[in-house]
Amino acid sequence: MAVDELQAIIQRCQILEEADFKGEDFNLFLVAGQKCLEDGYAAQLLEVIQNEKNKVIIKNMGWNLISPLVRCIFMYKQEDDKREHCLRILDQLAQICNPKELFLGLLEQIEQTSGDQVCQTVMLLLQPLQTVLLKLQNKKAYSVGLSLAMIMNQLTSLPVPYTKQQIQEDKLGLCQCCNAVVDFAKPFVNEVVKNMEKSEYDDMELKEELLKFCMKSLKYPLLAAQLEQLEGIEEHPFRHFATEIIDILWNIRELMPLVVLHHKGKSPCWENQEFADIERKNSADSLACLSYLMFVQHFGIECFPVVFSPAYLLLCNMTHIEVLLKRYSLWDLQDLFESSLLRMEDNSLLHDYLEFRDFINVPQDLVKIMTLCPMEHLRKKSLSILQLFIDKFDTEGKYTLFRCLLKTSNHAGVEGYIIKNIKDQIHLSLTKEYDNMWFTGHHLISLLDLVLSLPEGAETDLLQNSDRIMASLNLLRYLVIKDCESDNQTGVWTTLTKIEQNFLKPLRVGLNMSKAHYEAEIKNKKENRKEAHSSNTVCSVTVSGEKMPAMTTGMQLQVLHSALFTFDLIESVLARVEELIEVKIKAVMDENS
Amino acid sequence: MTTDEATKSEGEVQALALTERGEDITPAQDRGVLKIIKRPGSEDESPMIGDKVYVHYKGKLANGKKFDSSRDRNEPFVFSLGKGQVIKAWDIGVATMKKGEICYLLCKPDYAYGSAGSAPKIPSNATLFFEVELLDFKGEDLFEDGGIIRRIKRKGEGYSNPNEGATVEIHLEGFCGGSRFDCKDVKFIVGEGEDHDIPIGIDKALEKMQRGEHCILYLSPRYGFGEAGKPKYGIQANAELVYEVTLKSFEKAKESWEMDTKEKLEQAAVVKEKGTMYFKEGKYLQAVIQYGKIVSWLEMEYGLSEKESKASDSFLLAAFLNLAMCYLKLREYAKAVECCDKALGLDQDNEKGLYRRGEARLLMNEFELAKCDFQKVLEVNPQNKAAKSQISVCQKKTKEHNDRDRRIYANMFTKFAERDAKEAASKSRVGRAAEKAACEKGLKTPGAE
Repeated sequence: MAVDELQAIIQRCQILEEADFKGEDFNLFLVAGQKCLEDGYAAQLLEVIQNEKNKVIIKNMGWNLISPLVRCIFMYKQEDDKREHCLRILDQLAQICNPKELFLGLLEQIEQTSGDQVCQTVMLLLQPLQTVLLKLQNKKAYSVGLSLAMIMNQLTSLPVPYTKQQIQEDKLGLCQCCNAVVDFAKPFVNEVVKNMEKSEYDDMELKEELLKFCMKSLKYPLLAAQLEQLEGIEEHPFRHFATEIIDILWNIRELMPLVVLHHKGKSPCWENQEFADIERKNSADSLACLSYLMFVQHFGIECFPVVFSPAYLLLCNMTHIEVLLKRYSLWDLQDLFESSLLRMEDNSLLHDYLEFRDFINVPQDLVKIMTLCPMEHLRKKSLSILQLFIDKFDTEGKYTLFRCLLKTSNHAGVEGYIIKNIKDQIHLSLTKEYDNMWFTGHHLISLLDLVLSLPEGAETDLLQNSDRIMASLNLLRYLVIKDCESDNQTGVWTTLTKIEQNFLKPLRVGLNMSKAHYEAEIKNKKENRKEAHSSNTVCSVTVSGEKMPAMTTGMQLQVLHSALFTFDLIESVLARVEELIEVKIKAVMDENS
Repeated sequence: MTTDEATKSEGEVQALALTERGEDITPAQDRGVLKIIKRPGSEDESPMIGDKVYVHYKGKLANGKKFDSSRDRNEPFVFSLGKGQVIKAWDIGVATMKKGEICYLLCKPDYAYGSAGSAPKIPSNATLFFEVELLDFKGEDLFEDGGIIRRIKRKGEGYSNPNEGATVEIHLEGFCGGSRFDCKDVKFIVGEGEDHDIPIGIDKALEKMQRGEHCILYLSPRYGFGEAGKPKYGIQANAELVYEVTLKSFEKAKESWEMDTKEKLEQAAVVKEKGTMYFKEGKYLQAVIQYGKIVSWLEMEYGLSEKESKASDSFLLAAFLNLAMCYLKLREYAKAVECCDKALGLDQDNEKGLYRRGEARLLMNEFELAKCDFQKVLEVNPQNKAAKSQISVCQKKTKEHNDRDRRIYANMFTKFAERDAKEAASKSRVGRAAEKAACEKGLKTPGAE
């Protein structure tokens, strides 16, 4: 019987000195112990282990039993007595065994687990692992780091519960497990804190390992987790986890440097940033998550200094915002951006901030999302944030931003939107008495040169650019109505010849050409000679990667008609503008004569 | 003291005193920041703009509620003075303090968080009260590497700085070991100071200066004349330099987004020439700046015509290859590899790209990878003799390296064994058997690093 075999080997070893144990004895002990467990004699095994006489044997050999023990524990049901016995054996082993070997035994179990069992195994072994680590004499920091890294690596393969239901159900036990891991880490945090209080503190190693753990936790699971308060869940597990992680960072005094100081040495020119150390690149996600936790969710904000200027905080967050925009992890990050921006007053952001790369890159990234992102709500959100961003800058900043976006967006819709913004700014400077240098006079003229022109003269594709052209015409109409030639505050009257030359004239020619072309096309279609021309005008259309069916002649005609309608619309506004200009010039001439 | 005063909180008394007796320290004299010195400083020196300052402080709202204190955090608060990092009241207030001084500041919302407030602690339109102690300050370390320390004597106007390629007019005086070796007014392009015997550190520092700024710059040899020294000025190798610089005026170079493709391509040809000139003279840092411009202009450019795209790719390829060469010379091998990777991204069989990456990797002791690169060079051009000999170098090095490792580890294991034997004299042999068993199971033991 298994128990007898065990007793036999135990008795043989009891009389031996510790130093005289042989490899053979180890094997016999393992085989016998394993058999006891498999045959269900856990209670008896527990007795053997608890026997004071056997202490030396267990101390040396006990670690062997971890693997069969874990297997058994998962075999028994929750309420089974034998399971209880096994758990007590585990507990005893943690107390008695040589920490060094037991540590390896435990770690090995964690390393080998996979899939559904990951969280169960980790939670089962955390307590003994902690006990053992606290007893370790040498290489403690290294071992703590190794344990945490191994555990986090195992967890990373699991999906993060997202919906309320998933969180409550916590099917794989991830929520529970994360918080258990934090508890596991706490004694080591306390140790670091205690050491830091002593004046001579040279053990940076443990602190670094804990820092690594926090950075990892921020990236996974926190970056992927849903962190809004959920109704009906009192203690949101990930909110709790986030609080604990930030607490650790705070306690080991790494929070502040991570959120603010890392930025201090950074120069605005990108050459330095591009080659910035790889470590920083790797931690970009974690840092962005940390900023989100602090500034949007207000975790740990109570210990954050309240003397920083809002513009500086925006500057600090801009790096994270850019990183995360690029990764399309939009939702949270747009929140971060929004909340950073909301701390600023309108028109208070100095244009000089545009000299920081991030400040000029982020709006361009937003434009990319606005024009290329397949999801409508994200496009809309990008647009609203871009507007918020524009609003915060002083007039020179707005001016520079408009110039930049006009030149870089390559999208008529965005350009139209910017032009509308320019119109609003001109309106403000004409109606209000404040710093209006940038949207009147020669600065404005140079901006108008950019706005009131056709990129390719008369040959410009008017249909493609209709948004932009309509916005430009509206702006011009506004200018000639609002600004009398005698005042000429905006300078538009001085530059009228140029506008005529670069914009109105080619637009007229272009309109005539396009209209003639489309009318001819319609005529062709109607005469059912589509084969010869269809390839010229109608190309295949793909929508979200799928090719649309070829258009019927009827549909093609419809499209052509709507194009003509657009041209008519442009033409009517153009005619109105020309009329206004004529009337005003005439009025002035009459006055003068 | 009247009973009335006694019942008031300490904060209120201080705030009241400030309103009555505080000195208005705002430049606009609008009573936005009022100051009373509680304890005068121990030294007469005040921090200069841009200095890194260390303070302890306590902040209260008008109702006496404490909202923040560095003492609660148990560590001094550090920031750069006069840079807009902190609320306006602080940039103004701390600049007036002497080392060791403690003062009270009463700050109106316009000089603090204004109507927006600062969620969650500062409400809208709050007047803030601070007690600040200036513990210490030091010059600004421009690149966080101790290479250039700046102390600003007179702040410049506005906030904009010359960028790389900007044309600057400066007055400079250079000192080495207490004696002046250079004094001149000069106009040049940032990044090309070398043409006027101006070390690279000045170019770098200028990018952080403002119009009219007058500052002292302490340059380490790396940012000075380096190992070569400057015989013209009688400056030895590896000399520390001090410069006093006034930025009189500058005209910025166009930002990348302000240039159209045609302009970028034209300029690329110009800077490529310039970069090559520096390279030939052995001025690698300066050459990196020139080639770097090509990358910044053209790497992200899109919407090019076929012809433009061809021209752009050829400039980029040349730029990356030359940058790789510069970084090899500067012994920054990781950067060299990065540039080669980018060059090879444009032209995967580029002989120079492969060869230089091989060289860089060889110098980084990545022999196997280096060998692969040189082998690829031979695939592209079987005549490349240099690559052939490099392969044998790789093989030789790999062997040497292995041998050395073996020797080191052999020694190490004997040493470990000896040490363990001593330690284990009292302990059991079995313990080690257990450890060995654990090793065999494929686990890294902490002891076997």
